[in-house]
Amino acid sequence: MEANHEMNILVTNADNPFAGAVADRLAEHHAVRRIGWEEPLEADAATDQVVAGIEAVVHFALPRAGGDANDLIDHATRRTYNLLLAAVAAGAERCICVSTLRLFEALPAHFTVTEQWRSRPPSDDPALLACHLGEIIAKECARDRLMRVLTLRLGFPEVVGDRGALSGKHGPAAIAASDAADAIARALAAELAQWQEVHVQSPGPRARYLMREAERLLAFPSADSEGAVS
Amino acid sequence: MNVLILGGNGMMGPWVIEALAGRHTLRVTDINEAPPDFAHEYRRLSVADRDGVAAAAEGMDAIVNLSVLREDRTQAFEVNVQGNYNLAVAAVRHGIRRIVNTGPHYQLAGQQYEDWDFDLNPDMPPQPGTRLYALTKALGQEVLRVFSERHDLYVQTLLFMGMRHPGTWLWNRHQPGDKAILGQDLERPFVIAWPDTGTAVRAALEVELARLPSRCETYFTFARSPHRKFSSDKIARILGWQPAYHLEQFWIRPPDETG
Repeated sequence: MEANHEMNILVTNADNPFAGAVADRLAEHHAVRRIGWEEPLEADAATDQVVAGIEAVVHFALPRAGGDANDLIDHATRRTYNLLLAAVAAGAERCICVSTLRLFEALPAHFTVTEQWRSRPPSDDPALLACHLGEIIAKECARDRLMRVLTLRLGFPEVVGDRGALSGKHGPAAIAASDAADAIARALAAELAQWQEVHVQSPGPRARYLMREAERLLAFPSADSEGAVS
Repeated sequence: MNVLILGGNGMMGPWVIEALAGRHTLRVTDINEAPPDFAHEYRRLSVADRDGVAAAAEGMDAIVNLSVLREDRTQAFEVNVQGNYNLAVAAVRHGIRRIVNTGPHYQLAGQQYEDWDFDLNPDMPPQPGTRLYALTKALGQEVLRVFSERHDLYVQTLLFMGMRHPGTWLWNRHQPGDKAILGQDLERPFVIAWPDTGTAVRAALEVELARLPSRCETYFTFARSPHRKFSSDKIARILGWQPAYHLEQFWIRPPDETG
């Protein structure tokens, strides 16, 4: 895939301010269709319409604060399943499943957490547990070779803006929307394996998470990757 | 023990109830009406009803989950995924330490395993694939695994497939005109007689928790066969369970064909 190929992209949960900010940046180089949290995503013609003509899905599966546990799980599992199967049927070949490094928050800060570590979803945070289950849906779509999936786990908190918006109060794992958009844009253009996980946060001297796969696969962060969408 | 059986009026429920009756006090739930002259406490309930499951779990020592929804996409997620979340929450709330869960073998050993390999065992990482039934049951199992990591909760999952009625050797004995094909090998060497499903659940329910290697254990539960496609060693080793029916008539050729 050419790096500068303009793609038809679906961005989900784009009514989330962070996802919306990422979608705005992706829209500078791609044709972006957005859907919000309330999109029903039933297994029906309406969902087929949502994904018609889409080449790649950027699925924001980030945990959502508040809400009923069963609704959160339903959103992360059934609706994700419906969305991805419809996208595959419509010809989409890749999904960037945007998840969170919060799934590793239970691990001590001095551990060298990379994609080689198993995530530690909690039982008492339904939003985060749901996020973990959503990752599995996407992974199984890849396992069945329906589409290529890159699970992109973002740092936290997710901060709207560029790196200049980050400050000490955000902690050592934060990610700016500009960096997320840069990493996602690179993932859209990268030669992907059938499935892989990549950890991304905004770089910094005391960054909590290592980004070995992001550097190898996405050349992120590059020296000039101050949030520029390639 | 006081045992809550969720989904107890389906295909497997009667066999489990028969195996547990007289040994435990049963509270049975299902979305269907109770069978006529049912001898145990019965509540009409969907596992998707979180408050209802929590109320049903009050006063129980163990939960046996037989609930299953295979085909309808919405209900499959509600029952197989959210239902497991609901029962896990209920178990934690009421201090219930023992959960016996059930599902199909391919929620773990999906097509990517089954089409490729041998000596498949229940301690492999799950690879359900995207088949609705397999994937939703695998997600439900993952919910229980996560809860068992964070709470004093022992989850044992029995995986079944290819259940047969002794005598007719059919899956559904009320299937008019159907006839079991014997001596032609199995479509899949993972079969079990219906009565043995009940005794297997009983073995998991009654095992001393101290015998379990971890708080989350899964067993392949089927009649042994010489194929070596799947391994049922674990359930024999840990639970001491053995099937009463071996179903060898499926994989032994008739004498008139072998001289």
